[in-house]
Amino acid sequence: MDQVAVPPAHDVVEAGHETPATGMGVSNTKLAMWLFLSSDCLFFGAFISAYLFYSGRSQPGPHPLDVYNIPFTSVTSFILLMSSLTMVLALAAIMRGDYRRLRVWLLATALFGATFIGGQVFEFTEFYRQGLSLDKNLFGSTFFVLTGLHGAHVTAGIIWLVSLWGLAVQGRLTSRDSERVEIAGLYWHFVDVVWIVIFTVVYLIPK
Amino acid sequence: MADEGANPAGTATETEPRDAPADEQPGTAIERAEAAPPARAEPQLPMLPGEVRPHPTPQRYVMIAAILVVATAAEVGLYYLEGDVPDGLIIAFLLMFAVIKFVLVASWYMHLRTDKPIFRRFFVLGVVAAISLYLIVLTTLHVFSP
Repeated sequence: MDQVAVPPAHDVVEAGHETPATGMGVSNTKLAMWLFLSSDCLFFGAFISAYLFYSGRSQPGPHPLDVYNIPFTSVTSFILLMSSLTMVLALAAIMRGDYRRLRVWLLATALFGATFIGGQVFEFTEFYRQGLSLDKNLFGSTFFVLTGLHGAHVTAGIIWLVSLWGLAVQGRLTSRDSERVEIAGLYWHFVDVVWIVIFTVVYLIPK
Repeated sequence: MADEGANPAGTATETEPRDAPADEQPGTAIERAEAAPPARAEPQLPMLPGEVRPHPTPQRYVMIAAILVVATAAEVGLYYLEGDVPDGLIIAFLLMFAVIKFVLVASWYMHLRTDKPIFRRFFVLGVVAAISLYLIVLTTLHVFSP
């Protein structure tokens, strides 16, 4: 009687990480992430448009020029941009099988993201002390909702990165899981490009 | 870590012979030096499923980051020119820098340059749909009227 070859247990576990390809020859997970990001453009577009629509219509202050601290926000924007660099370096590291650098870059990305969020919390607190709140005026409503939603996206990304870092520390993230890091990276870079737009439109364009 | 030194699947190191002492390798020293890859050659990363070209090297990623930093610094500099330069010009340059940064991150860091075109089409569809839709809405609501 012929014996059926059974693959070693660890191969079965590793194979389970691979996502099935669609009929287009691309992975379902990656395609789903790109579709999500595509729809998220419309989501953020709605809130940026609401900010632009109500811009300059707030009667009682504070107004943007009263509260914005451009040097501070420039630094936090720079930190978020640099987190995109560390994210791609993490992907390059896992693809090379360099797991020490993978852990370093994943943790650096999460820490940069946490620093950005810390800056946002500080900024919100300062604005509140200067009298701007969610229900103070139209500027407060649209500003806090738009930047707060972006901050929520960044926070979700940090949780994702920390969980990947935890897996990497335990040695459960190998070169075969590169796509998992790439998909987390896609999400992370997307929140970065959304901030590029928000920083320009909300903070820098003359009021 | 158990897998610390593991070779990534698909890298060239799996098929290369182990280094032997110099006096045991075939050929003269000059022949070996000519056959050896250049010392500064950038290692090519293996490709992931759905990619048509290999990812850029880490050095290229750092170069893109440097461009992003310069563009951000230019944007912040423009902000401080408000009042000295017409607002229209400042807005045009700010939007131009934002588009450059957006495209650089999407094409290099999100690998739209190296992935199958289907991903680029989906993303461009979302971006163009969002810009078109909200431009029409804001124009209809006279947001851009003086």
